[in-house]
Amino acid sequence: MAPLLEAISIGKTYPGGTVANDGVNLSIEAGEVHAVVGENGAGKSTLMKILFGIEQPDRGELRLDGKPVSFANPREAIDNGIGMVFQHFSLVPSFSVYENVVLGSEPRTGIKFDRQKAIEEVRALSEKFRLAVDPLPPVGQLPVGQQQRVEILKALYRNARILILDEPTAVLAPQEVEELFVAVRALVAQGRTVIFIAHKLPEVLAISDRITVMRAGKTVGSVNAKEVTEQSLATMMVGREIALRVDRAKGRGDLACEVKALKLTAESGAPIAEDLNLKVHQGEILGLVGVEGNGQAELLEAIAGLRAIADGVVYLNGEKLNPLSTLERRELGLASIPEDRIARGLATGATIAENLVATRLADKRYVRNGLLDLKAIKAQALKLIERYSIRAGGPGYPVGTLSGGNMQKVVVARELSEQPKLLLVNQPTRGVDLGATQFIWKSLTEARDGGAAVLLSSADLSELLALSDRLVVFYRGKIVAAFVNSDDLTAETLGTYMLGLSRQDPETMRAALQ
Amino acid sequence: MIELLMTVFSATFFVTVIRTTTPLLFATLGGLISDLSGALNVALEGMMLISALTAVIISVYAPWYVAVLSGICAGAMLGALMAFFHLRLKADIILVGFAVNILATGGTVFALSQATGGDKGTSINLQSKAVPAVNLSFLDAIPVVGPTLRSLLSDHSILSWLALFMVFAVWYFLYRTPYGLWLRGVGEYPAAPEAAGINVTKVRAWSLVASGALAGIGGAQLAMFNYIGFTRDMTAGRGFIALGAVLLGARHPVGAMLAALLFGIFEALAVVMPNLFNWIPGEMIQTIPFVVTVLALILFSYRAQRARQMRTLTKI
Amino acid sequence: MSQNSPSRWAMIGRETGRAVTAVVIALLVALVVILLTSADPGAAFQTLLTAPLSSNRTMGLWIDDVAKLTLTGLAFSLVFQARQFSMGVQGQVYMGGLFAALIAMSPIGATPLAIPVAMVAAMLAGAVYGFIPGYAKARFGASEIVSSLMLNYIAILIVNYLIRAHLAPQGTGQLATAKFPDTAIYPAILPGTRFDLGILVALVATFVVWFLLYRTNWGLKLRLVGHNPKFAEYSGIRSSFIMVSAMTVAGAFGGLLGSVFVQGRAFGNLAQNFDGNLAFEGILIAIVARSRPLAVPFVALAYGYLRQGAQLMGIRTDVPTEMISVVQAIIILLVASSFSLPGKKFFANLLGRKTTPAATPEAAK
Repeated sequence: MAPLLEAISIGKTYPGGTVANDGVNLSIEAGEVHAVVGENGAGKSTLMKILFGIEQPDRGELRLDGKPVSFANPREAIDNGIGMVFQHFSLVPSFSVYENVVLGSEPRTGIKFDRQKAIEEVRALSEKFRLAVDPLPPVGQLPVGQQQRVEILKALYRNARILILDEPTAVLAPQEVEELFVAVRALVAQGRTVIFIAHKLPEVLAISDRITVMRAGKTVGSVNAKEVTEQSLATMMVGREIALRVDRAKGRGDLACEVKALKLTAESGAPIAEDLNLKVHQGEILGLVGVEGNGQAELLEAIAGLRAIADGVVYLNGEKLNPLSTLERRELGLASIPEDRIARGLATGATIAENLVATRLADKRYVRNGLLDLKAIKAQALKLIERYSIRAGGPGYPVGTLSGGNMQKVVVARELSEQPKLLLVNQPTRGVDLGATQFIWKSLTEARDGGAAVLLSSADLSELLALSDRLVVFYRGKIVAAFVNSDDLTAETLGTYMLGLSRQDPETMRAALQ
Repeated sequence: MIELLMTVFSATFFVTVIRTTTPLLFATLGGLISDLSGALNVALEGMMLISALTAVIISVYAPWYVAVLSGICAGAMLGALMAFFHLRLKADIILVGFAVNILATGGTVFALSQATGGDKGTSINLQSKAVPAVNLSFLDAIPVVGPTLRSLLSDHSILSWLALFMVFAVWYFLYRTPYGLWLRGVGEYPAAPEAAGINVTKVRAWSLVASGALAGIGGAQLAMFNYIGFTRDMTAGRGFIALGAVLLGARHPVGAMLAALLFGIFEALAVVMPNLFNWIPGEMIQTIPFVVTVLALILFSYRAQRARQMRTLTKI
Repeated sequence: MSQNSPSRWAMIGRETGRAVTAVVIALLVALVVILLTSADPGAAFQTLLTAPLSSNRTMGLWIDDVAKLTLTGLAFSLVFQARQFSMGVQGQVYMGGLFAALIAMSPIGATPLAIPVAMVAAMLAGAVYGFIPGYAKARFGASEIVSSLMLNYIAILIVNYLIRAHLAPQGTGQLATAKFPDTAIYPAILPGTRFDLGILVALVATFVVWFLLYRTNWGLKLRLVGHNPKFAEYSGIRSSFIMVSAMTVAGAFGGLLGSVFVQGRAFGNLAQNFDGNLAFEGILIAIVARSRPLAVPFVALAYGYLRQGAQLMGIRTDVPTEMISVVQAIIILLVASSFSLPGKKFFANLLGRKTTPAATPEAAK
């Protein structure tokens, strides 16, 4: 019997010459969980976009039930029984769960949207597939794990026989991952097929029946999950041994930053975080652990001066930061690498030189009497372009003309070129490839060795465990545990605290918070 | 002062308010639809103006309803033009809107002079028609309240009744039909409807067309009922006031109606005040709707901001 | 800071090419309109294209327009660079004109101080008028588009009222003030034409705006706010201050234009509706110039020519001046669109998607 879904020698080159897929083959059997693994940039996402009709292949062909098909847009893929759950959810925040699920294929009576029927259908689906969600509240108010269930329900509502999950575990805590896997198994048991995109190998081995490995736009091969080990998969993925080793700090210096009894609230007044106490010393990296949305990102924003502090104090080298503006905090040696480096950390229409100097517009070297010292600004830009090997035509080129990796370098160069005293980092390697990860990790450890106190927030536990000297765990806006990093500390241990399943005794926590 | 109060609480004033509100309400509903779909339609002014002229010229040769329909078509076509440049050619919606406004200011004068044989000011030489008023004199037969009811409800433009119906229709469309759900989804988070297989561009394009059609009825009412005939720049900022009314009405059809009514009341005041207070210069009375719009906009924005802040604790 | 960027000339070339293409397309449409409506289309089209050069006087009219268009273009460029859509230049022009006129008609008007004092007064009045929507936006979150448009109407009505009731010579029924004293009117540079101090004011203003935007700290911050407000906030730039100050400074230039209007040799008095909608045409100038101050005078020169041609066409032929609004609208629409020079992509866009021959029915919708 023919496979359920087949992709045969798919090729896709983007305008601009990036070869995303080059002779990709994929064969999915009905009723299996099929993982597609590969590094960032291996071409997984492009392949999935082709399967879902978002992109059209330049070469090759798709077969569904043995018959050639082509999808001009997602609608056609949906009509053929393919559903996709993106890493970034496609949900309208103010719409209720049931409105989001039925959007685009609403039950109607005449021209009227039949809400009652929609609610009933969503309820029935969620019971059938054990995806417990209340259909009525707006999705914006739900935790991430539940939003993901809404996304899966959306696909099932459209009768998806094949469900593509794009990096579904990236936003989940380990225990939520377990729940997701229960749901995936329930789906397969009811005859659905799941394509699972991932790069975390233990998860892949735990859930999938078969695994297709991609590397540099090509498929390396397909294997049965039972027949491979993590190590052999990793070698297939990168084609060489992975060497991401990080040297830990040699020893920490004096206290640099202290957060005391900090309270943060949303604009609506709802509390985001309360009673946050922590200390960071010179030359150490403090990892902020937690499922996203538990207050880590907001803490970083509050320290940077981008978010109002409701109560409590933040000190940097003994100076109270609360009354200071963002600019004044930066002058005290604060630097920050934001999560969305291009949307938040750059003005792509402005030149490289302007971007590199944008955070130092109170500095006498570049601005005197309100006038720009263009020579100094240009010299600085040339220096940093050279030092960080930014590939650019020159300091006068708009940042928008650079490649993604070089844009990242511009941000890192600006923030780290002058040794910061306190460095705030959020999701430093999300969505970047291995080479860039290496570069960013190295930059962070160099800043640390230069005496910076680093606050690092990341959704990637392995990244946190690799880089941090100490870790604090956030759960529902509170710090619930603190650890001094050691080889014994595992992601699973952190996970139980991230979900509030275990509590640390106050003594242990206090000791690790010092 | 007593005279003013007596005037304001008279049935004639009520009729005036309905008359001044009607074109604004249509334009506000038009602005609301495009705003909810994620596009700020600054061209309401120009759409109304072009539709007004179209309706007037057509009414010379055809029955009034054909004229109104052609006004609607003119507005809808301008909406389609905006959609084409904004959605297909990726031009900024505000710039596209101002291009339409510029086209309207000059283009109507040009077209008017072509239609009248050289007259650039008004269409006074054209035998244009009016939208009929709805006569409800049978209400007189009702005992006690009959005459009052008649004086309040009779003699409104047929389009005023349509406007009232449109408030309901737009509300029903937005909150009770699947397409309304699509439109609001497109305005709030386009990635979601897109992933659900909805053609976002198409939804946006149709919203602009609908927006133009609604502004078009407003223009027709203005030139075929409020005034009979076309005068250059006769919209006099109503399209921009409508834009303010969309915001003031909290982006909801009923709110839009109340906001349009508020501005209608002040415009009606500007109509009746010269007769009552001849010592107040006419120009100053004419500024009332604009001053009220600015103040209402500031007050509304301030209150919306305060409401957010009240729930946030004070900064340190 | 675009010096040393080899792409700069290429960019200027590309932008000029786009603008010229847009103008040519717009003129072709104008030609069609004229052919359809005029009894003597040849004469009308020829007047449109050549009349501004027909005499010293018409050239003076043209240059006078260029000065004014430059100033309004600069005012719009400033706010556009900060990505604010304040549309208040017209109101600022009226307020500036009013205060310039008040100074000119006061005792100061008869002294040599008349011109500088009136210019400063006009700039202050314009700045205040530009500040209001900026402050309303920064402090209350009120949309600057709506509030600035409302303020335009209010300014025009106030000025109209003051002229009718107080400033015009009583009993004459005139809708304009008496001529200002000679000391309060800009001196002519070429005697007997409208070629006056206004053009110098416009050139100096161009330089000042360029300097503010590209050589000062404030200008860099303003442009960064315009490029990406989230980034500006992250960098510690107080974007609300920049926003308000950009609108205020732009208002000062709008006010200055008011002075150029009423004190220029074209008027020399304050009349009702004196701007003839010219203030709004700054939008077109700013868009075509991509909000680059140094490009503004050149765009104003070209557009002013077209504008003057249309005026003369309205006077000398049977095609009304207002026909030019068609040309204006087409230029704005085309320049604001993403069509590129040879027009390949543009026409491809017109026809459907990209350049792939096999456009699916879905894509062709």
